[in-house]
Amino acid sequence: MASVGVAQFHQVFFEESLEGLDAMESSLLALDEGGDSELVNTIFRAAHSIKGGSATFGFPEMAAFTHEAESLLDELRDGRRAIDGAIVELLLRTVDCLRGMFARAQSGQPLNNAEAESLREQMAAALGRQIEPKAPPSRRAGDHADAWRIDFRPHPGMLAGGNDPLRLFRELAALGELRVQPVLDRLPPLAALQPAECHLGWVLELRGQVPPDQISRDQIAAVFDWVEDECELTIAPLHVVADTPVPAVAAVPAGKPPAAAAVHSAESGSVRVSIDKIDGLIDLVGELVITQSMLDQFREEFDVAKLALLQQGLTQLARHTRELQESVMGVRMLPIGSVFNRFPRLVRDLTQKLGKQVKLELVGEQTELDKTVLEKIGDPLVHLVRNAIDHGLEMPDRRRAAGKSDTGALRLEAFHRGGNIVVEVSDDGAGLNREAIVAKALQRGLIASGDQLSDEQVAELIFQPGFSTAAVATDLSGRGVGMDVVRRNVSDLGGAVAIRSRPGHGTVFTITLPLTLAIIDGLTAAVGSEHYIVPLVSIIESVQARPEAVHRVTGGGELFRFRDEYLPVLRLHQLFGCAGAQAVIEEGLLIVVEGDGARAALLVDGLIGQQQAVVKSLEANYRRVGGISGATILADGSVALIVDVAGLIRLQSRSKAA
Amino acid sequence: MLQLAPTATAAEPAANGAVSARPQSVVVTLPADCRMAAQAHLLQELLAALDACAIDLDGRAVERVDTAALQLLTLFKREADARGAALNWMGASVALDEAADLLGLAKTLKLPAAVPA
Repeated sequence: MASVGVAQFHQVFFEESLEGLDAMESSLLALDEGGDSELVNTIFRAAHSIKGGSATFGFPEMAAFTHEAESLLDELRDGRRAIDGAIVELLLRTVDCLRGMFARAQSGQPLNNAEAESLREQMAAALGRQIEPKAPPSRRAGDHADAWRIDFRPHPGMLAGGNDPLRLFRELAALGELRVQPVLDRLPPLAALQPAECHLGWVLELRGQVPPDQISRDQIAAVFDWVEDECELTIAPLHVVADTPVPAVAAVPAGKPPAAAAVHSAESGSVRVSIDKIDGLIDLVGELVITQSMLDQFREEFDVAKLALLQQGLTQLARHTRELQESVMGVRMLPIGSVFNRFPRLVRDLTQKLGKQVKLELVGEQTELDKTVLEKIGDPLVHLVRNAIDHGLEMPDRRRAAGKSDTGALRLEAFHRGGNIVVEVSDDGAGLNREAIVAKALQRGLIASGDQLSDEQVAELIFQPGFSTAAVATDLSGRGVGMDVVRRNVSDLGGAVAIRSRPGHGTVFTITLPLTLAIIDGLTAAVGSEHYIVPLVSIIESVQARPEAVHRVTGGGELFRFRDEYLPVLRLHQLFGCAGAQAVIEEGLLIVVEGDGARAALLVDGLIGQQQAVVKSLEANYRRVGGISGATILADGSVALIVDVAGLIRLQSRSKAA
Repeated sequence: MLQLAPTATAAEPAANGAVSARPQSVVVTLPADCRMAAQAHLLQELLAALDACAIDLDGRAVERVDTAALQLLTLFKREADARGAALNWMGASVALDEAADLLGLAKTLKLPAAVPA
């Protein structure tokens, strides 16, 4: 077995298999709700590829495990076994177990654990009850022998499928001494030959190298795993060895790749891009080249009469560049459906556990998000969905008492709004329990007993670290790790979480995320001789301050009266140490910004304009700087820093507290 | 295993193509990549070569080969034998030899021992 050559494909195999598992899971869930037989075929195909792949790539434990599942699925497919809740549950747990195996394979740990063993036994038991009578006797007796006869007749299509007997025979030859006898009785005349069709057959004899050295049937079967649907295969012992037990380790093929080689980070470094997107890119580049050659003409000979043409060309160049930029960014964009897909399973398991009835609705699965954002939004969403089912939605009897239907509605929706992606998790449950939250906050000393809190302020409390109103911490939620983590995760992605709740009518969590992390829309502001970019998402308004609206307070702080609020004034020139900037508030401009739920007014000299900024990481190129989220390069080649509004407000309140 | 020996036909490749009715001798050179993609072309070449009285196969350049290629050669050998054409190997590469051995076809093809590259 070629352990070196195959290892490089492990990552692809893992990715494909995990996709296959996702497909299996969603099909199983659909099957549970009464789907058609095509679903069973989909599940079977996924299991079959995982089995074949894991055998090829040197994961015999996984292949053996999947083999059991495949046998079960085969019975479902043939109608020999009825589809019921128990079997779906068993197969769902198999999917989970395989995910665990893949995780362990990626980190180079042993694949099998107690759970896998027990599941495999359960599957075998389920199979055994059904297939005991017709189990082929040779499968039981003589599973070890020192010599085997293998009749191998490939179907004509096998070669075209990429399976070459050469590879199979090489693997067999690695197991022992191989004698090959071709069978040439099916050969067509040369003129009628389709070279890709296989008309050869073989009779093989495989012997252990040294007489006591035995080969198990499974070892041979594993070699033919990929092609068992594409050939006629019989494996029979030439000399049966009477009951000589073979140590289990001997069954592992000798060429197993070293486990350490499989250590990869879990986060994959590749993106799969649809052909459509690539074709779009190629089209655009073509347009760009045409425009460029058109502009090139002006370099040769230019006269003023052609000015209009030149301008037209430049406009086209600008448009194509913008479109190209958008398309290239689009390569990183993936539909959020891949994240949403995990929820039907989660909801099913949770509701079963809690005895609740919930109907999950997924909307806007096609909405596309940056891959990085997509990878990190999963956990916060899981928290929100768990919370909604555990705390939000009531038990059926309580729902009935409240005049609602027994089945709670849970809705996950993704859509575009402005330059942002919005993901909403909404339920029609009981809403936030204001009394419980206030009581808990009092107990934890987060608020004083006399405080009059608005509904928004109460809702904000649940984002405090360690805050939970659940009377008993279940293993679902209620341990107080949740909402603060959700908010932190989302703000790490440059987004925000908001909450809307109506008692008795339900709760809506709204996550607002930037389309991409690579480009932001921002306003360029001048401070002295420097330029700063303030992200558009955090800007509420920019105003010229009137003298009477600014108040100085003891301790050196300044407050700006904005509508009914007093906002702290942050002088950017002071914070960032810019010389020659406007120090008189009334002469400058105040940008009212919001970050992490807090507002402030930034003092700048003036605004230069709005632009898209390609974010360059400061951390990667220099080091982390408080109040700055990154840098960008302006049209004139100079560097402008991008203001991290939330960080700036935190910085300011900390320096005040100190 | 048959030894590679210079044959009478190998000595007169220049006569190739001179006679149009039934050429005396034809040389077919197997490409370096003999795998499936190359075989449609190779099949045409072999079919054309069947008209000759003597056919020399040159397998010395073969680097990549698959089962389909060896099947093609097996069929060609059978067809040439049936027509009474003399099939001679001018040599075979290690890759070709090894693959034929593994598939048990070396004897059928009367493949000579590999010429080390």
